[in-house]
Amino acid sequence: MSPRFKLFRWRAIGPLLLVAVLLVVLWLLLADQVARYEAATALEETLGTQVDLASLRLREAEAAVDLTGLAIADPRDPRRNLLEAGAITIDLDPVPLAEKKIVVDRLTLSGLKFLTTRATPAHPADPNSPAARLLRSTEQWAREKFQFPTLALGRIDTVKSLVLHPDHLGTVKAAAALVVTADSTRAAFDSSLQQLALKPLVDSTSALVTRLAQTDPKKLGLAEAATALKDVRQALDRVKQAKARVASLEQSAKASFGLLQQGLAGVDAARQRDYALAKSLLELPSFDGPNIGGALFGQQSTDYFQQALFYAKLIERYVPPGLQPWNRPGPVRARRAGTTVEFPRMKEYPRFLLRQGDVDVTAGGAGLKLSLAGITSQPALYGRPALLSATGTLGGDHPIRLTVSGLSRHFGASPMDSVVAEVTGVPLPAIGFPGLPISVTPGRSTVRFAFSLGAGDRLTGTWEVDAPAASWQGDSTRLAAASLVESTVWRVVSGLTQLRIRADLGGTVGSPTISVRSNLDEAIADRLRGLLGEELAKAEQKARAAVDQIVDGQVASLKARVTALESQALQQLPLQQSQLDDIQRLLDLQLKRFGSRATGALPLPKL
Amino acid sequence: MLTLLKLLQSLFRTLHSEGTPGQVAAGMMLGAGIGLTPLMNAHNLVLFAAIVLLNVSFGGGMLGLALFTPVGFLLDPLFDRVGLLLLEIPGLRGLWTDWYNIPLLPYTGFNNSVVLGSFAVWLVCAVPIYVAARLAVGHYRATYGHRVLNSRFMRGLKASKVYNVYSWFEPQ
Repeated sequence: MSPRFKLFRWRAIGPLLLVAVLLVVLWLLLADQVARYEAATALEETLGTQVDLASLRLREAEAAVDLTGLAIADPRDPRRNLLEAGAITIDLDPVPLAEKKIVVDRLTLSGLKFLTTRATPAHPADPNSPAARLLRSTEQWAREKFQFPTLALGRIDTVKSLVLHPDHLGTVKAAAALVVTADSTRAAFDSSLQQLALKPLVDSTSALVTRLAQTDPKKLGLAEAATALKDVRQALDRVKQAKARVASLEQSAKASFGLLQQGLAGVDAARQRDYALAKSLLELPSFDGPNIGGALFGQQSTDYFQQALFYAKLIERYVPPGLQPWNRPGPVRARRAGTTVEFPRMKEYPRFLLRQGDVDVTAGGAGLKLSLAGITSQPALYGRPALLSATGTLGGDHPIRLTVSGLSRHFGASPMDSVVAEVTGVPLPAIGFPGLPISVTPGRSTVRFAFSLGAGDRLTGTWEVDAPAASWQGDSTRLAAASLVESTVWRVVSGLTQLRIRADLGGTVGSPTISVRSNLDEAIADRLRGLLGEELAKAEQKARAAVDQIVDGQVASLKARVTALESQALQQLPLQQSQLDDIQRLLDLQLKRFGSRATGALPLPKL
Repeated sequence: MLTLLKLLQSLFRTLHSEGTPGQVAAGMMLGAGIGLTPLMNAHNLVLFAAIVLLNVSFGGGMLGLALFTPVGFLLDPLFDRVGLLLLEIPGLRGLWTDWYNIPLLPYTGFNNSVVLGSFAVWLVCAVPIYVAARLAVGHYRATYGHRVLNSRFMRGLKASKVYNVYSWFEPQ
């Protein structure tokens, strides 16, 4: 008899429990280290920069985590940290942990420092990480979208020869394109006119009118009179249809001529751009205030806006709107990471939520209160915007006053990320100017910054610096050999201690606008205009003449061609219309004559 | 390390039963599940517990794990595609959303394309793996088993600790 088959191996429960105990021991020994490594790696991948974490301790019984020595390197400057935190305590809600979701009830930080120097430079982020790619793309965005004029500070050279090639001029291209359009408009007009076939219609109708005019309706029988009447009516219909076609052709011709006139305006605009191009080849300095502001401080302002856009896009990437399944890269492991899809559902916990975070930094009489709320990976589930606010002072002898408020709303019809900050008493580093042998150290300044990225990638931003005690430094060697413009700029700025800069950002991410102004702009512009106005006018005249020499003949010929086409068409069509009107009048006359006969109406006695 | 080895050896000795080809094949089938899917997921704890608790060959399970782990690495691109396909089927979205919000289930990593794809492929292949393994073990025992056991190599091996591993497949 064969032994009865047993499904379970009960004696294995002991060893299985042993394995479980082994796992628990391993957890106790290694969990903190593994969690520390995983947390640092995840933060590094998210932020695209090195993140150091000295220690991490899991307190399973209290569902809490203690972290120490957090340092987040600046992704743009590996020699400094954006932020350092001495100790962080995270109190978790244990229930969502069962669903692999992290809900932080409370976060407390101490020993917070900003923009500290690193002992060792941060290692570069993985260039293929999403954050690193995003940083590169926003840097490229700033380079491509904001091109500020440089202050051309050499001698104004009115003798310098200016060689322009027709291929480089937009006017030539625009005029050539418009010639093609004018020709095709003419061909289309001629073809439409021919299709009207007015001459045969006018000839045949004239013949009918002549024949009927020679016939006495009273001598015709009723049937003959009815036939004549029918012929007249048919001819009238044809004439009316022809008139409608002529009117329609006139309408479309006028629309085409309107487009040609727009084209001519475009050619004029291209000519203005060509003047600017020719001026730039002469390297003439621009004395417009906004241009000087952009040349001096444009780069500084776009750096701020580019950083803000990077973080806004980063938030956008990790905090998607709505409740659709969300694909993101899987965990880093020896096996392929794959794609992890999240399936959020209303009234459930989001994958990550920080309900409330409070940071109270008090040191050496300074105090800063920072508050975070509603920071979540699925704002549509949480239903409230993420908020950040910080108020207080940092530092000892020269405290820096800080006020920051931020909002991130990634749900509803108008998602938006915005931040407003004001920092007073912050020592700003020296600002160098491209191509100039001078720099300015704003010293302790007030910086105001506002940025928002809204629906449709709409951008709004302001960057303001108010430095009441700025100091200017000049490179004496280079200044000794400086041009008139350079030395003029130096003379203007070196006497100023007040520096005020304001940059305004607008438009969309795809098509941003920026205007940069400073209190130096007009002062520099006025002085340069006074010194160099006459020479500049001469040089500008030369630039215009160089362009005119190439494009004048072509543009004049184009304008003559468009005008001729327009006048020819506008003369021809009324003539045709008038012929048709005459024919219609004659037909109407015959209609009356033969109409009364055909209907057999009795002539009424004259009164 | 030696202590750990001894512990494992005693564990294997305790768990080892001179299994039938069916038991060895069943063990290999469950081991293949662990080998084919990414290791650090909760479902593998369930599979491991099944190998230990069910009356299947533990050695067969370990052999399945060893054989199918490299296969898993090789087939990861396929698993990724299969898993993503399953996760993105609109008709299954309700099911995945339910599972995503059930306690403990997310720790299986079912919402990862490689995990779900590899698990699905294992489910489909489980019966063929069982049948093939059963036939292979039966054939081995009927043809080469005795010869191998009586070989000089095996006699030497029997004297060593490595024999413990081979003995999981010893003919009855």
